Amino acid sequence: MSQTENACVSEMLGDYVVVRLSGEVDLSWSQQVRRAILDALDKTGKVGVELSQVGYIDSSGIAALVEGFQSARGKGQQFGLVAVSAPVMSVLQLARLDKVFPLFSDIQAARTA
Amino acid sequence: MRFLADLSESLALSLDLKESLRVAVTRIADFMHADAASLFLLDADSGVIECRVCVGPVDILGLKLALGQGVVGRCVADNATQVVLDAASDNRVNSRVDAETGFATRSILCAPLSTAHGAIGALEVINRRDGGLFAAEDAEILRLIAAPAALAIGNAQLARGLIEQQRIKRELDLARTIQKSLLPKRRRGDFPVIGVNVPAHEISGDFYDFFDLDDGRIGFVVGDISGKGLDAAFLMVRAASLLRWCGKAGTAPSTWLGEVNVEMCQTLRNGRFVCAVVGYYDHATRSVELASAGFPPALLHDGEQFAEFIADGPPLGILAEVQYSQRHIELGNGALYLFSDGATDVRDAQRNTLGSSGLRDMIAAHSQLAPEARLRALVGDLKRLRLVDDTTIMLIAEPRGKSVQELLNLEFPARAEEMRGVRAALRGALDAQDVDPQLRDQLVLAVDEACTNIIRHAYCEVRSGRITLHLSRERDMLAFELRDEAPVVDPARLKSRDLDECKPGGLGVAFIDTLMDDWKLCACPGGNGNILRMRKRIINGDDE
Repeated sequence: MSQTENACVSEMLGDYVVVRLSGEVDLSWSQQVRRAILDALDKTGKVGVELSQVGYIDSSGIAALVEGFQSARGKGQQFGLVAVSAPVMSVLQLARLDKVFPLFSDIQAARTA
Repeated sequence: MRFLADLSESLALSLDLKESLRVAVTRIADFMHADAASLFLLDADSGVIECRVCVGPVDILGLKLALGQGVVGRCVADNATQVVLDAASDNRVNSRVDAETGFATRSILCAPLSTAHGAIGALEVINRRDGGLFAAEDAEILRLIAAPAALAIGNAQLARGLIEQQRIKRELDLARTIQKSLLPKRRRGDFPVIGVNVPAHEISGDFYDFFDLDDGRIGFVVGDISGKGLDAAFLMVRAASLLRWCGKAGTAPSTWLGEVNVEMCQTLRNGRFVCAVVGYYDHATRSVELASAGFPPALLHDGEQFAEFIADGPPLGILAEVQYSQRHIELGNGALYLFSDGATDVRDAQRNTLGSSGLRDMIAAHSQLAPEARLRALVGDLKRLRLVDDTTIMLIAEPRGKSVQELLNLEFPARAEEMRGVRAALRGALDAQDVDPQLRDQLVLAVDEACTNIIRHAYCEVRSGRITLHLSRERDMLAFELRDEAPVVDPARLKSRDLDECKPGGLGVAFIDTLMDDWKLCACPGGNGNILRMRKRIINGDDE
């Protein structure tokens, strides 16, 4: 299984903010992820969460994504999930959220959407 | 005052009380200008007062007086200073010593050695050296001098008491070690008879034993001696030897009890008796023959229901002419529990006894565990309640080792940061079972969600709690068991939310609902903690 270290890095690409997550998103640091997503939405109207390096996500991590999505929608902002890894996708499917979030294969596609 | 300080110091500093008292009494004789001085101590058990230190022309060391007898006896009995100004005309004075020795007692002062628990002896001085009489203030001085001596002697007696207690404790520990060594050694591998003995105190009146017969059957014995303490422990050794010796011959259980009963009736005294259950387990037929003499009912648990087998006669050592019956029990895949009454007599915080039904609940709660782990869990539960009596449990069950495999047993702190390691261990255990990777990840998710629910909602983020995760497999069924020690959670509070709603919280239970075949939450027996059991049937590729 992925030995990738847990990390959450926000990157500004013009008017677009990418929140890059890696490692295993669980209860021990999902609050930090939630904060990073909400901070990004405070800075700009277009936010993507990049998930290609995430090997595991639990319901508290999913909850952080849902909260970001709902906050963005409430303010007419754009919010999407980018390069969703297979483990994350199966949890999204399980939670029946795979049809709820806008999903993008890469940053380029997300920025030009 | 200076003399008093010196005296106190010399008594307090010395560990050799006898020598320092000798020196002290000599100094007291000099200080009081007395011809003779002596120190008497009271033996609290016999009430005899004995002269332990004596200086002066006449040796009265070892002189014994009754409480109230003579000046010294009166002084100790009344815990009050005695002043005899003219010995010749005072009827308190014992004239025998003078008559035997030719010593002429003229004047006596005697002060009690007072402690918080009354007088423990007396300090006596006789005759002023200048031929004069003692004055009332001399009595007051002697009373003051007696105080540090009383303190030193009292402390020394206390210390000796402690040393004696230590010695008795060491001997009891030794007795316990010897007693434990009489219990049979746990057999390696899958042995169908296991037992455990938990003494309520240092030594136990309970015992158990098992042994092989040449025909392959296993003989077993569980016994409980009436009463507690050393005599019960000695009787236990005797009863255990007799029962083992008789059972080794392969004698039918009813006869086995009958023979030991006759012997016990001839030798037991003081209303003592022995409750015992004896029998044989036949591995080939998975059946038990047993007979019980006043022992609590044997419990057979088939995983769903209990059957109870009450005693076949009175305890051993009461009626020599008793005939015991015996019974045949088909064990099958079930488990037979033999337990001394200590197991049902445990008390909860409200002092209620566990009783037979409480014990059944406990057994049922652990029935998924392998026998060895089950017995450990039972003892753990009993110890969390209050044991008031020696407790012995024997469990007879055909090992499930072949059908039930223990895959993982983890205990970890109930903290979110522990979960990454727990998930890795669980993945490893599931990979070792060739579980399909996608299913594996789903099961890991479900267990993780269950653990984080325990961390957040049962322990309410209290970081000192612990969780145990136990994973076993029986054929194609995986059983996950999570235990915590948090306050009991009402299962009705756990609601699975509709997955079609899009909202942040409440997903965990929905995941468990979706991913597991079934799950059940119940309180630990005794009401301390929760047990969550989740099951998932796995179909391996080559099974299809």
